[in-house]
Amino acid sequence: MATAARHTNPENFPDLLSQHLSDRLKLLLVYAILIIATVQTIYPLFWMVFGSLKTDADLFNNVWGPPRMMVWQNYVDAWRIADLGARIGNSIIITVLSLTVLLIVSSIAAYALARLQFPGRQAIFLIILATMMIPPEVTVIPLFIVVRTLGILNSRFGLVFVYAGTSMAFSIFLLRGFFMSIPPELEDAALVDGANRLQVFWYVVLPLARPGLATVAIFQGMFFWNEFFLAFIFIRQAELQTIPLGLVNFFYRYSADWTLYFAALSMVTIPVIVLYVAMQRWFIEGLTAGAVKS
Amino acid sequence: MMTPAIILLIIFVIIPILYGFYLSFHRWDGFNSPVFIGTRNYIRLIERDDVFLKAVTNTIIFAISVVLVKNVLGLFLALLVNQKIKGVIFFRTALFLPVTLSFVVIGLLWSWIYNPTFGLLNAGLELLGLDSLIRAWLSDQATALGAIITVDIWKWTGFHMVLFLAGLQSIPKDLYEVAIIDGAGAWTRLTRITLPLLAPVTFISVLLSLNGAFVRNFELVFVMTDGGPNHTTEVVLTHLVTQAFRFGKLGYASAMGFALFVVVAVIAFTYIRIGRSGAYNF
Repeated sequence: MATAARHTNPENFPDLLSQHLSDRLKLLLVYAILIIATVQTIYPLFWMVFGSLKTDADLFNNVWGPPRMMVWQNYVDAWRIADLGARIGNSIIITVLSLTVLLIVSSIAAYALARLQFPGRQAIFLIILATMMIPPEVTVIPLFIVVRTLGILNSRFGLVFVYAGTSMAFSIFLLRGFFMSIPPELEDAALVDGANRLQVFWYVVLPLARPGLATVAIFQGMFFWNEFFLAFIFIRQAELQTIPLGLVNFFYRYSADWTLYFAALSMVTIPVIVLYVAMQRWFIEGLTAGAVKS
Repeated sequence: MMTPAIILLIIFVIIPILYGFYLSFHRWDGFNSPVFIGTRNYIRLIERDDVFLKAVTNTIIFAISVVLVKNVLGLFLALLVNQKIKGVIFFRTALFLPVTLSFVVIGLLWSWIYNPTFGLLNAGLELLGLDSLIRAWLSDQATALGAIITVDIWKWTGFHMVLFLAGLQSIPKDLYEVAIIDGAGAWTRLTRITLPLLAPVTFISVLLSLNGAFVRNFELVFVMTDGGPNHTTEVVLTHLVTQAFRFGKLGYASAMGFALFVVVAVIAFTYIRIGRSGAYNF
């Protein structure tokens, strides 16, 4: 490595450049790039909030700036017309139930795969590995027929089971890794003391696997909360719609109430941003750990 | 203990895959009994469905662009926020933010940013004196697909930045110190130390972007252009949904879905194969 570096050094243009650029200038360049990247990331969100408080005329004439006059009424109207209360309720119910089903079922299965010997264990694990990379979008038509046959089309429960079922493989895989990293001696001690497998799982293993469960909860919870495609296929009744469906519906109405659209979008986005900023360490770690562990 | 998980997997994953394969050889409106027609659906896809071919091209363009740009930009930003400079936590937090927002929220927001009458983008171009570039971004055939691709990149770059950042922080610092003593410049250190040691993270980062690249495009297209203008932003999934739920061609749509399934599976498994064998070559 060292000799290779010396050999390539002289004809290395960026190297020469960096020698001439003073450190201050380099720092300035780094800040400039970071500030531009950040502004183009954040400014659209401020713009959304600005737009939500403008009058129609203000929106069209004063594209860039903050509102000249705060029109809070936009929020009241958007909430009522988009029926946001019901949509938020549906999203909460569906996300919480899906996560509950997913976490219970997948953690038990992952534990069995990590610790127990049983016939077909290897085969089941291979199937899980193979199906993990298959996104549910590509099987949406047969999935639709399955859901219709089961009579759970247009129902919150139906969507809950579709969500839990299609993210099962990934979640099992992730949790299995966490369980395998827990030293088995702890469980052996509890087993010797007369606890059965389920008790060991509940009282010894699950508390230790809390970071793993949190990862799955954040990773999948976020996915369920934001999911549109499957919800769009399986939920057609207005009163069962989740937030993303409700927004699209509201947006596709005939009148172009732009400021109300901005207000509706702000109302569903601001709480997510607040939650993210408050728990950013959890979000960033959960989302990336969830990804990397695979 | 495995039973509930296996039942859910069979109902919602295994049966749909097999059933989709079965349906792809049938003509079916979803109500009467399916009629077996052999490979006619597939032949029609390739020979007579121009929109499908357009959708395939667009899906491939979408996939290649987002995988490339997300990872390159993500790595670039990770190198910048991996330095000990003031405010770096703020930059990381801010750049990751779009990851937490839904495609629908982002799609709607950006379709307004691209809006020709009150959109941010045209207003910005006007401010910079670039009036000649002003256009209706999403209804212009030349720019619509690119405009959507940009939004997907905007959403995910922060995610890949954080992945690469974790990789960068796991590289031992003394390697760089030794390299500096040996007279290695910044570029040499990047290509001889950083990139090779980052290979496992790069592998995962590319895999993740690849996995979604062919299918996680429905929402943005549906919300922003619905495949238009003149199918220039049509992707396989939007075409599939239109055929299935607007025209009731469930068998035909299943063939499309199964073709997509094969493409996604083959790419994922080939990539993992190559990655596994290549990981030892560095």
